[in-house]
Order: sequence, then C-alpha cells, then structure tokens
Amino acid sequence: MTLHRIECPPELNLETGRDIFNDDSIDAVRSGDECLIDLSQTSKMDPHGGAWLIRMAQAVRNKKASVRWEGESGQVAELMTLIEPGLLDEPPPPAREPGYVEQVGGITIDVIREGREMFALLVDAIYWTLLAPFEGRGFRWSHFIDEVHDMGAKAVRITFLMNFLLGLTIAMLSAAQLRTFGLSIFVAQLIVIGFARELAAIMTAVVVSARTGAAITAEMATMVVQEEIDALRGMGLNVTQFLIAPKLLALLVVLPCLTAIGMVAGILGGLCWGVFVLGFRPQIWLNETLAAAQWNDIGQGLLKSLFFALAIVLIGSHNGLRVKGGSRGVGRMTTRAVVMDIFMIIVVDMLFATFFYFTVG
Amino acid sequence: MPAHEPIIRVENLDTHYGDKQILDDVSCEIARGEIFVVLGGSGCGKTTLLKHMTGLLSPTSGGIYINGQNIADLSEDELARMKQGIGIAFQSGGLFNSMTVGENVALPLREYRLVDSQLIPAIVRMKLSLVGLVDAENLLPDALSGGMRKRAGLARALAADPPVVFFDEPSAGLDPIMASGLDELILELRRLLGVTFVIVTHELDSIRAVADRILMLDKGRVLFQGSVAEAESSGIDRVQQFFERRPDTHIAQRNL
Repeated sequence: MTLHRIECPPELNLETGRDIFNDDSIDAVRSGDECLIDLSQTSKMDPHGGAWLIRMAQAVRNKKASVRWEGESGQVAELMTLIEPGLLDEPPPPAREPGYVEQVGGITIDVIREGREMFALLVDAIYWTLLAPFEGRGFRWSHFIDEVHDMGAKAVRITFLMNFLLGLTIAMLSAAQLRTFGLSIFVAQLIVIGFARELAAIMTAVVVSARTGAAITAEMATMVVQEEIDALRGMGLNVTQFLIAPKLLALLVVLPCLTAIGMVAGILGGLCWGVFVLGFRPQIWLNETLAAAQWNDIGQGLLKSLFFALAIVLIGSHNGLRVKGGSRGVGRMTTRAVVMDIFMIIVVDMLFATFFYFTVG
Repeated sequence: MPAHEPIIRVENLDTHYGDKQILDDVSCEIARGEIFVVLGGSGCGKTTLLKHMTGLLSPTSGGIYINGQNIADLSEDELARMKQGIGIAFQSGGLFNSMTVGENVALPLREYRLVDSQLIPAIVRMKLSLVGLVDAENLLPDALSGGMRKRAGLARALAADPPVVFFDEPSAGLDPIMASGLDELILELRRLLGVTFVIVTHELDSIRAVADRILMLDKGRVLFQGSVAEAESSGIDRVQQFFERRPDTHIAQRNL
C-alpha cells in the first residue's frame, strides 16, 4: 500500500482542477492504495473545482483505492462539508438486469395479474352498467348523453368516409378478378356479405378505438396523475359507476349504430364503382344487393360490434387507471391501449368467425 | 460593466392579462449577492413579477434590465443565452418525469455545452450533494416526496452555476424542519458561491431567516421595499398586518 499525496493549488477551479486530474499521480494509483488530497494551500474553490475533486475521488475508487482529504480551511472547508456525500459514496448501482427465467416468470405473473384485473373490471363494469340502474343505484344519464354525442354523432362522418372508401377499394379489387369470368355483377353480392359480416364492424371498431379508446385512456390516465381519481374515491364515489358505466353504455349503443352506417357506406362505395365504372344500371345493382342481404349476416356484424364496444371501453379504462409516471406514462398507456384494442378486435373477430363457421356456416 | 450595477433592475413595470391589470408601476433593483424576497398575499402578482424577471412574459410597458441590458431589446438567441445565466427552481420542482433526478440535473449542462462532458457526472453528484439528494440520483421524480422534488429542482437550477437563482415558494408545503433546512441552504449557497437569490414566498419564518431586502406587493402595486426590520417598523398598516398575521375583517366575520 502506498500513500499518494495530491496537492491542490491555491485556487481550485475548472482549469486547475483539470490540471491536477490529468496529472500522472492518479495513473500511478494501484488497488489498495490510499490517496490523500491536500487542501492546505487552497484558499478558494469554485463549484467546478469541487466537481473535479468528485471526479478524482471516483477515478481513485474505481481503482479500488481509498480517498481522504486534509488541510481544508475557511470557505473551502465549508464547501467540502456540503459536498462530502458526493465525494464519499458511490452512486447506487442501477438495478440488475433480470435473467431469462426470471423474465419469463415476471411476464407470466404480470399477464395473470393483468388478466385478473381486467376480469374484475369487466364484472364491475357490467354490473354498474346493466344491473345497478335497475336496482335504483343510480346512473349518470346526462354524462351518458354527452358520451353518445362525443363517441357517436361526432364519429359519423369519419366512419362513413372510411367505410365508403373501403367499399370502393374492395369493389375495384374483386371486379378485376370476376371480370375475367364475366361475373362482375357478383361484386354487389360480395360487397354486401363482406360488409355485413366483417368489414363494416372491423373498420368501424378500428376507427372508434383510435378516436374513443385513446381518448378514454388519456382522460383516465390524466385523472389518475392529477389525483382526480383519488378525489372521487375519497368522496366515496365508485369510479366504475361514475366514469366507466356511462361510457360503456354509450359505446354499446353507439358502436352498432356506427357499424350499421358503415355497412350502408360500404355498400354505397361498391355501388359507385359498379354504376360509374363497371357501367351497371343502379336498379340492377340494387336488386342484386338486396337479394344478397340477409338478416343472418347483418346480425353477425352487429352482434360483434357489441363485443368490440366492450373491449374498447374496458381496455381504455384499464390502461388509463394503471398509469404510472406522469406525462410520459399517459402517452405510453394511450399507445398501449390502442394497440391492445386493435389486437382484441381481431381476436374477437376470429373467435366469432370460428363459431359461426361451425354453427351457421 | 460597473460593479455597483444591480444584477436585475425593474423599471416602471406594467402588465395586463387581457384587460385585467396585474402589475402597476413596479420598480426594484436587486444587487449582486443579495437575497431578495418578493412577498404579498395570494394573487398579488408575485409570480407574475418573477415570470417577467425570467423573461417568460413580456410586459405591457416598462423595462427589465439584467446586467444592465434591457431584455426586451434582446434577440431570441441572446435571450436564450441570457437565460443560461439564471436558474429557476419551480414551486413543485418542474422536473421532467421521464428522466431520473441525475439526468434532470445534467440536462442544462449537456444542452449548454459549457463544460467537459466527462465532468458532467461529477457536477451532477456535487449539486445533488449540495441539496442532500446524492442517493436519489438514479430515481425517477415520481418516487420522490414533495420536499425532495423541490430540492432536486434547486439542484437543476444550480447546475450551470448561474449567478442568479429564482426560487418560487421554497418552503410552501414543507415540514418546518425541511423548510428551515432549505433556508439554511440558501444562505450557505449565497455565502460560499455568491449566488444571488430572488425568492417568492409568503412564509414569514422563512422571510425573517433569509431576506436581505423585501419587496411587498399588494394588488399589483409596490407597498414596501426595504429590509425586514424596516418593514416591521414601517407603520404601513397592510405591511404590519402581514407580519402580525392579522386577518382581514371580512374573513374574520365570515368565519364567525
């Protein structure tokens, strides 16, 4: 063990600090040595000088040597007392990366916990939306009306436009295929069945999840961050009853309506292509459309949209209420909610398709 | 620049929010190394005055001179450079939630590029040990208590060693031990590093402990300017009332 003495100049600042740091004396320090910072000459030290001392202490400690100082007086001594914690301890090491097995376990636990939370929220939401009002436990009808306006009436234009354009596109694609067989008129049937069963429900749900699902998460998450949720709970009000139930009922009412609008819009899109490009008379195209339209198909689309509505509101609220970490967290949760929404929409749709394949055909 | 030139001079400042006049003919001078406290009841324009001094708002009329230069005459770049010479510690910290405490303190250093990047971690540790938060370096702000956030905000304000630090409500919402500790820290920083402090507060104990001079505002006008002792013996009723914590009659009546 050797003792290294580092003498500090009369004035310790950005330049002189750098000079002693870059001096060879620190390179010579070996493991187990001791470093003594001699401050007896120093009468003035500025913050940068102090920072160089901390840098030096870190470098010495990295070599597993110890550091101490002596001879300080006056202003230097007082400043040294203030910055002593920074000179002495190491910064706490950042958390260790978990191993592979640990990660798998962690993810499993998280998924199970989240699934449970979602299920609890589902039960709660259904109770407060569909049962509690009949038990006389109150429902915020005024809020419900506002939500219907926000989620529904304001979304009509975009829903119509998206479905119309999709109808146009599908007609375009399928006409190109069917024309070779001279069966272009069947495009009308294809559009009706496609939109009634799948496309209108999915397209509308995607539009609504981006509009409404994201809004629900952002709103709830901001309420958590600003302690509004705590305020509600503190007043003895039920968050599900107060916030989620009106939204859920509103979307359950609104999403089938929007889906129906979507079906009409899609069919109109197809009709435009059929009449203006393929050159059919509107009457013929309409007859073909009506002949193919069946309550069975339309019912499938509308039924699905109810489940989409449930998924959008639950995923939105769930993610909003789980937010952690201020403004950044709000953004992260909103992203997560929209991704989960679209994923769930596709999963629910697939389940329905499988179910109907084996039952109705 | 002559040494006696005040570091901040406010001249006949008038300001409005919409039609409502917030500050009415406010003038004051803040000397180098001084601890200057702006006080007054809630809604008297304290925070607005602070925002003017830091260039966040521009006045209807009147001027603000920092180091003898009118900030209204500065270009955007010059204003940004001027702001590097001031530190602002916000009421609830104003920390970026997405960064750790250490990254928050390092941010102005990295952005201003005034020092060696290899020295930045050491500066961060030093500023955090000044405010007693060395162990919180790798924590996120939402893991901190209110008092810790405030101190972390002060550490960030001090990061680039600005000659002036503005501090909005240093002791509001803190327990008495923490509040007096923070007062002590302000005095120490002034003594050791020569930092000028402009503090907005209405905590009486804190004002008595740190203030060299005070500026008292009432409804946007300057009510009093001078030392705490002068204020207490000034004979201006409103000032007396403030220091004696005497309530207004109408609130007293309402409480009865």
